[in-house]
Amino acid sequence: MKRPIYIFSDGVLKRKNNTLYFESEGVQKFIPVENTSEIYIFGEVELNKRFLEFLTQSEIILHFFNRYGYYVGSFYPREYLNSGYMILKQAEHYLDTQKRLSLARTFVEGGYKNMRQVLKYYQSRGIDELERYIQQMENLFGSISNINDINTLMAIEGNIRQTYYSAFDLIIDKDDFKFEKRSKRPPKNALNALISFGNSMMYTIVLSEIYRTHLDPRIGYLHTTNFRRFTLNLDVAEIFKPIIVDRLIFSIISKNMLKPEHFEQDLEGIVITDSAKKLFIDELEQRLSTTISVKNIGNYVSYRQLIRIELYKIEKHLMGEKEYQPYVSQW
Amino acid sequence: MYTILVYDVNEKRVAKALKVCRKYLNWVQNSVFEGEISEAKLKKLKFELSQKLNLHEDSVIIYNFQSRLYSQREILGVEKNNLDRFI
Repeated sequence: MKRPIYIFSDGVLKRKNNTLYFESEGVQKFIPVENTSEIYIFGEVELNKRFLEFLTQSEIILHFFNRYGYYVGSFYPREYLNSGYMILKQAEHYLDTQKRLSLARTFVEGGYKNMRQVLKYYQSRGIDELERYIQQMENLFGSISNINDINTLMAIEGNIRQTYYSAFDLIIDKDDFKFEKRSKRPPKNALNALISFGNSMMYTIVLSEIYRTHLDPRIGYLHTTNFRRFTLNLDVAEIFKPIIVDRLIFSIISKNMLKPEHFEQDLEGIVITDSAKKLFIDELEQRLSTTISVKNIGNYVSYRQLIRIELYKIEKHLMGEKEYQPYVSQW
Repeated sequence: MYTILVYDVNEKRVAKALKVCRKYLNWVQNSVFEGEISEAKLKKLKFELSQKLNLHEDSVIIYNFQSRLYSQREILGVEKNNLDRFI
């Protein structure tokens, strides 16, 4: 299977001998093109147009992150799966308020159900106080069926997520990783920094999968489409963030894999060091390649394939073949 | 599928073999490559190699494994190229 490559060193990325080549002080490495799905760049890397042309030809996406680990942007090569029909269908579902709302609602529903599933999982392991949060989320979710505009829907989604996050302290229960409250740009403590990093990884992973379908990532439904950003990947990531990123964070912390040394105090917030990023990505890749059996598919699929299947389900919904039902984890 | 590829190729063509293999598999040490590869890609690789090599003189051996599950990889001495996902 093709695999992603993560570049943390500083150096030059080139096309050489019809394959990818990375060179920096003391390191010279050929990367097999035929075996690379996408490249994540965290270091200071130089590259030229010839290299980008080569990536386009080999259909490899490039994701850039700045030195704090924030997502900067992607080199999204020319679409190789073109479908005017699908773009029209996507636009149709965006422009029709009812159709857009119903799709947006399913994304919120998927996110909510998976968040609840995470809390229920820890409840079944003996944290009884979680019941209160689950109840609160359920009440919030109950009101979404009669909402008629996207902004209120997003606000409710935000409230559900806030309730969910406030339950984190009960699950983690470690002094080095107190949640307190959600803070971003920059995160104010280690746990928030981890959540932010994990979420931005999730967005790029979904984006990479969208590139391999006919969908256009610029047309999202819950997140308003605007002039610059990819939005469809944000929508789909809502469903997978709780079951992939959050569960991963809990497991890394409970296994004591992360220490306070993995975080640094910067001017205003907390920054994750490269070694922590590598550790996190290693675990994330492992989780994504874990296979599970899923109802109605009849075979074992990995979490990465599951994301792709989710996109195909959205395609089917847009084409009017089958109503979209978000994936809900069964533990 | 996990594959290990080794070749013994005449000096005149060894650079060509190297360049073809680098596109598909990870270089491990001189004339040894390994990596995860799909069946279709392996077919492509074999075709490209047979185009570049003289099959009366050169020899390539390809070991295929369903997975790496029951294998163990041990290195004595220097690791010439680590196969990490990080660079």
